[in-house]
Amino acid sequence: MSIQEFVLAGQWVFLAYFVGINAGYLLQNVIAAHGIRRYLQTADQYEAENVFSALDIPISLVVPAYNESASIITSVKAMLQLEYPQYELIVVNDGSSDDTLEKLIDAFHLQEFPEAYRARVQCEPVKTVYRSTRISNLRVIDKENGGSKADASNAGINMCRYPLVCVVDADSVMQPDSLRRVVRPFLEDPTTVAVGGTVRIANGCTVRQGFLEKVGLPGNFLALVQVVEYLRAFLFGRMGWSPINGLLIISGAFGLFHKETLVEAGGYNPQAVGEDMELVLRLHRLMKEKRRPYRITFVPDPVCWTDAPENLRDLKSQRVRWQHGLGQALALNKSLITNPRGGAVTWIAIPFYMIFELFGPIVEVAGYVFIIVSAFMGWLAWPEALIFLGLAIGLGVMLSTSAIMLEELSFHMYPRFKQLVLLYLIAIVENFGFRQLTAIWRFQGLVRWLSGSEHKWETITRSTSLADESQ
Amino acid sequence: MEWLFRYDFDTLTTIALWSIAAVLATTVILFVYTVGLRVATISSNQQRRSFLARWRDVFATSMLDREFAAQQTLPRVRRADRIDLLEEWNRARSMVYGSAVDNLIDLATRSGIPDLARRLFRSRRMRSRILAVQTVGHLRLPEFRAELGELVNDENTALSITAAAALVDIDADSGIALVVPMINRRRDWPKTRVSILLRQAGSERISEPMYRAIRSEGDSGKTYLLQFARLMEAEILDALVGDLLRESRDPGVLNAALKLVSGFAGVPRIAALTQNDAWFVRMQAAKVLGRVGQEEHLSLLEALLDDPEWWVRYRAAQAITTLPFLGPNQLRRIRLRQSDPFAGDILQQAFAEVGLA
Repeated sequence: MSIQEFVLAGQWVFLAYFVGINAGYLLQNVIAAHGIRRYLQTADQYEAENVFSALDIPISLVVPAYNESASIITSVKAMLQLEYPQYELIVVNDGSSDDTLEKLIDAFHLQEFPEAYRARVQCEPVKTVYRSTRISNLRVIDKENGGSKADASNAGINMCRYPLVCVVDADSVMQPDSLRRVVRPFLEDPTTVAVGGTVRIANGCTVRQGFLEKVGLPGNFLALVQVVEYLRAFLFGRMGWSPINGLLIISGAFGLFHKETLVEAGGYNPQAVGEDMELVLRLHRLMKEKRRPYRITFVPDPVCWTDAPENLRDLKSQRVRWQHGLGQALALNKSLITNPRGGAVTWIAIPFYMIFELFGPIVEVAGYVFIIVSAFMGWLAWPEALIFLGLAIGLGVMLSTSAIMLEELSFHMYPRFKQLVLLYLIAIVENFGFRQLTAIWRFQGLVRWLSGSEHKWETITRSTSLADESQ
Repeated sequence: MEWLFRYDFDTLTTIALWSIAAVLATTVILFVYTVGLRVATISSNQQRRSFLARWRDVFATSMLDREFAAQQTLPRVRRADRIDLLEEWNRARSMVYGSAVDNLIDLATRSGIPDLARRLFRSRRMRSRILAVQTVGHLRLPEFRAELGELVNDENTALSITAAAALVDIDADSGIALVVPMINRRRDWPKTRVSILLRQAGSERISEPMYRAIRSEGDSGKTYLLQFARLMEAEILDALVGDLLRESRDPGVLNAALKLVSGFAGVPRIAALTQNDAWFVRMQAAKVLGRVGQEEHLSLLEALLDDPEWWVRYRAAQAITTLPFLGPNQLRRIRLRQSDPFAGDILQQAFAEVGLA
């Protein structure tokens, strides 16, 4: 093959990739817009008649905590004030080396309690169970460090008494009505096994006593870009997959599960880098293998707010980890990929994730290299290249604009005009540098997974936005 | 592969150019639409707030003072405010009882709410329709009885349960007679809404229809309806529970019936159920024995302490701690004589829960 032929063949590959990914996103956008419209209409009806008062299914809230001394008291106090008729809170101290446990004991008058503990899913040994002498629905587990959030979550799942389990990050800021909203699919459809909700960026918001007081946009550029990214990822990324039961991920920051199914699947995998996605894939696999009808659903309501990385080091670490986790999760559940009865998951969602999300960075990075080399070698037809570049950027901006419109149409969390304008500006600016950088990081994550490197946990610098003003 | 290299890239470039134009146009339309939406939302929110503030004041005074209300000049209702007015009136109406209900219905008649409800009753917008159905119920308009009777069978859950509630509002006796036999068929109706509807109708009104419905249903229907049986009159309920515990072999029915046991009748049968094959029946039986058990039942409860199911062990341990004839020392002795580690652990937990070291 001559160089010219090679260049031409490369152009076709990039073109096919470009058409495929954008067609996929546009389709998701249409499905999501329709889904959100329907969801809001029914929500309207239910609100009008107060049809679901959520009295039916009690929930166990599991909060894994490792070295969360700075924020744990505020978080637990806030979680104890959620608007839900019956729930219990189980905080799992995963062998913290700071004074997380001591602070919990002091603040909530905890006493050791001889709970008859059942290890139904695998985790490191539990040392002590504490019960609050003041708050009847609060228990704290002190366990040996398992090195992962998955291990701590499993210990909490073993302690749950209620039929639904909600696993929440200790540093997440929850919407007061989040449980009421996220339980709705379980009330509407008894075959529901898991539900996720929209996670938003907390940087720039005002948090008081663990609750979100005022929604704001971050001053930090990287966090600001992630606000738009999260809008895209949740409002049409997840919402686009949910109606065809093809949702492959429920954010680890907040997910509600049917306990018995979760236990049957074996709980979280402590060896998984992306334990949240791996669990959802395993649930799909389990239900397909057992040939049971099931739903894994997404509600577009904002359910919790989380801290986004504000510097390049942390952001890179997060994106490399996500990509590594994606590859590992798909590999661990490869029988789902080849299951002829896998439905939309096997035939649509997984191929899309494999081509465009997992191996996409290879094409994207190769594309950047190709353009640079071609430009240096004089092979590049500049007018055509600029036209396709313009189209790529235009489509990116259009998809972000559409996500912002869906947000405005549904939840309009950013009430000021200035915020709206800023989001649009970011939707344009992120195409110059940020997207290319994340493609390179995702490529690194892919290489890390393919080379079988072990993932190292790194400490992420917390933004100041979540620091409780009262402390 | 040859075709690949012969393909005319100029055509693709032309398509790309047109695509850019389409993408740009779409982006601009989306942007303008979003901004327009924002402007409209801000403006309508302001108007809505002031409209609701005026009407809330009117509702509050009307509930308490009929004559004062009759003399009041009512705020103007624009077309855009109609749904808000209905929602607000229904909210106020569901909070009051006695003479305040009549005052609110008078006020509704003066402000044109019945005509509005009549118009929206056949609306294509589901939310408006549900509101209208709720309103005709709250207004107690008998002319809608036949149509509500049909709507109870509508496949839309919210609409049908609202229609059922409206029927009971208009005429509780005939409404309950129609709705109770439907509860088992309409399992999509949220249980909380069904409970509210039955509670509002009153135990004396629902007991007989509920008794008949439960007796006539199969095991699955019995199990389902028993969830609402607590709202029946105690005497009828006790008789029903006694019959079911004696006659039924279905674990679901037994489980549901055990949850409703209130007195000491049928204790031997309950004790026998601690040996049932279904773990949830054993668990419920243990729980009930904790409340009504005698000394001869202690050995049955102790036997459940090493049951394979955690919940059975837990409830049996809790039941032992609540038996009225056992003091702290006897409880400790029971704990010491357990050779099974599961039994010992679960008793220790149950003792700790009631502050017994």
